Amino acid sequence: MSGVDFEKEFGLLFSGREEASERAPSSLKARLYSALIRKQQESGPLASLDESVALGHAICVFEKLVQIAPVGEKAKSPFFCQVCHARVLAEHLDNPPIFWPHCPYVAFKNS
Amino acid sequence: MHSPVQFSRGTDIGAADEQRLVAEVLAKDRKATAEFVARCADWLYSFVRHRLAPRTEIVEDLVQEALLAAWQGLPSFRADANLRSWVLGIARHKVEDYYRRRIREAESSEEEDSAPQLAVMPMFEQQSDSAIQQERVQATLALLPEAYGLALLWRYRDGKSAREMAQLTGKTEKAIERLLARARENFRRRWNDVRR
Repeated sequence: MSGVDFEKEFGLLFSGREEASERAPSSLKARLYSALIRKQQESGPLASLDESVALGHAICVFEKLVQIAPVGEKAKSPFFCQVCHARVLAEHLDNPPIFWPHCPYVAFKNS
Repeated sequence: MHSPVQFSRGTDIGAADEQRLVAEVLAKDRKATAEFVARCADWLYSFVRHRLAPRTEIVEDLVQEALLAAWQGLPSFRADANLRSWVLGIARHKVEDYYRRRIREAESSEEEDSAPQLAVMPMFEQQSDSAIQQERVQATLALLPEAYGLALLWRYRDGKSAREMAQLTGKTEKAIERLLARARENFRRRWNDVRR
């Protein structure tokens, strides 16, 4: 078989592989989110919850408790999801039993 | 105000929305960051998985590498660019880096092998159902040594020339041609095994 033939033959065989649009597993999204937040924290605190709300973002019930507490901006900047069971479940399960409104980990499950 | 936490997954959003999202991620807003991840993860996952199939064990690591690289590069994201294309451009580099590493690592054992016999082999029979044919291609690739599979994908799916592959891996063009010849021979043999 000539070189040209096998080049054409393999080219035809592999050209049929079309890229299917696939959703990333929600557990992967959860782990990516946690990893990206950790990276963001390496260069200083996150934007505070007050700033998130001012930008029009909704926050979960736990974050709301912190946001309305009479504490300084600095106390509203930590990544509260770090200590939340929703994060742990979402990072390990693709259909985690979590249902809090405005929780990013719940949104990954539904996205 | 924009709709909170309900991500419109995988769809392209308007340029103004993209600029808003990028600015908020750079300001380290946690909710915007979640939206950024939800959007990019679907794009990246499809792209990387397709390029590594049937070997998918490394997909999640590469998706994470690409996402973190995209975030690090966000300050250079231009207002007139499309976020999806920009992110996938970064993913393409990550996948090529992976191909390059794996093919380069295969170098020492490959160089010791003698050149394959260029036997006259029958053409692959035409399969009427292309989906079945693609399944068979996947199954055959899964049986090959990884460097062979990646070399075939790079050459015949992505259309890289042997010269480009040589430049990218630091190997000689001759070495790449030998690698491809071995990969094709292996593929043909395995192709028949899969049929049985």
